[in-house]
Amino acid sequence: MNNETDDKLMAQAAQLSTEITPERDLWPDIEAAIEAPRRRSSWTPYLAQAAAIVLLVGASSSITYVMTKGGANVSPVIPTMGLDAEFTSFGSSYELGQGFQNARNNLAAQMDLELDRLSPDVRAEVEENLAVIRSAIIEINSALEDEPNNVLLQDLLLKTYREELTVMRKVGGLTQHVMSRNDI
Amino acid sequence: MAALLTAETSDYSQEMVTAPQPAISQEAAWIRRAQRSDSRAFEKLYRMHIDKVYGLCLRMTGNVAEAEDCAQDAFIQAWNKLSKFRGESAFATWLHRIAVNAVLGRMRKSKREQDRIQIASEISPAPASIGDSGNLRDLSDAVDRLPEGARHVFVLSGIYGYSHEEASNLLGIAVGTSKAQLHRARRLLSQQLTEQGFEA
Repeated sequence: MNNETDDKLMAQAAQLSTEITPERDLWPDIEAAIEAPRRRSSWTPYLAQAAAIVLLVGASSSITYVMTKGGANVSPVIPTMGLDAEFTSFGSSYELGQGFQNARNNLAAQMDLELDRLSPDVRAEVEENLAVIRSAIIEINSALEDEPNNVLLQDLLLKTYREELTVMRKVGGLTQHVMSRNDI
Repeated sequence: MAALLTAETSDYSQEMVTAPQPAISQEAAWIRRAQRSDSRAFEKLYRMHIDKVYGLCLRMTGNVAEAEDCAQDAFIQAWNKLSKFRGESAFATWLHRIAVNAVLGRMRKSKREQDRIQIASEISPAPASIGDSGNLRDLSDAVDRLPEGARHVFVLSGIYGYSHEEASNLLGIAVGTSKAQLHRARRLLSQQLTEQGFEA
């Protein structure tokens, strides 16, 4: 094998297709695999609730810690995550009040502005904790679809929404009261 | 040869990093939504990257069924690990690493599994030449027939333009091993193609 042939071989190899379309759509199987844990009806209520509470307590403590310890360094940041309508549901049987949604959206908008004032590390911490809370909201909502009348789950969801508002309020340094169940 | 590989080094990564800005920002938005467990956003990411991931899996396994399984595994793993994606590398690069691990994971499962894959490859030759024509198709078929180690290095270095450092890192082998496997692959390919009257 001489160098010229070798170089030509490698040049040809570099021309081979790097993108190949599968013969069938693989998404349905992938979707089934990633959605399966969410749809599982055999979820263990107490374990799931306990896990969610642990997550929330951890998130809240962490937020409090970073907010009291973290500096307010000004640094350029990218826009933060937005709120999706799907988060403001309450299982499949209830809708959250418009007042709650408005308050939530306002808090989120103000929090976005305030996040710009945080250092990247603190901001990342806040966003990560919010992501945990929002994942918990999705999980609890999913569980409520299976058991819409589960009072424990309803209360847990309410507390989780409240926790989210508390975090946003802390970040924003706002003074609005956290919504109570009567507001919803 | 070294010069050729050096020239190609990271071209693929660069290509991904320097993708059109709107596509990147759209992708970033989908990633953020998927990180919040939005499977519809993840489907967008799947549609955007499946050809790259499947192409890599098919080149590495040389078998359609295995490539499909590996690509599926890769996206499922990506979904499970998405919260850990910090954007330190391009999303496509991150996915590529997961796909390579998915392929290697399946290969390492057991000797029996490897034998099964080998038999499956023989029964159902991979149409990895999809999109390739003429001499390229011959080369593609010849790559499929390479021994596993040589094929993996050749695919990553020769086709996808990874450097030996990157390829060895992805494959979990020493840089020297990567170089040796590439040399072996070139020699075997040259022999195969010469026998077929291939003109590079």
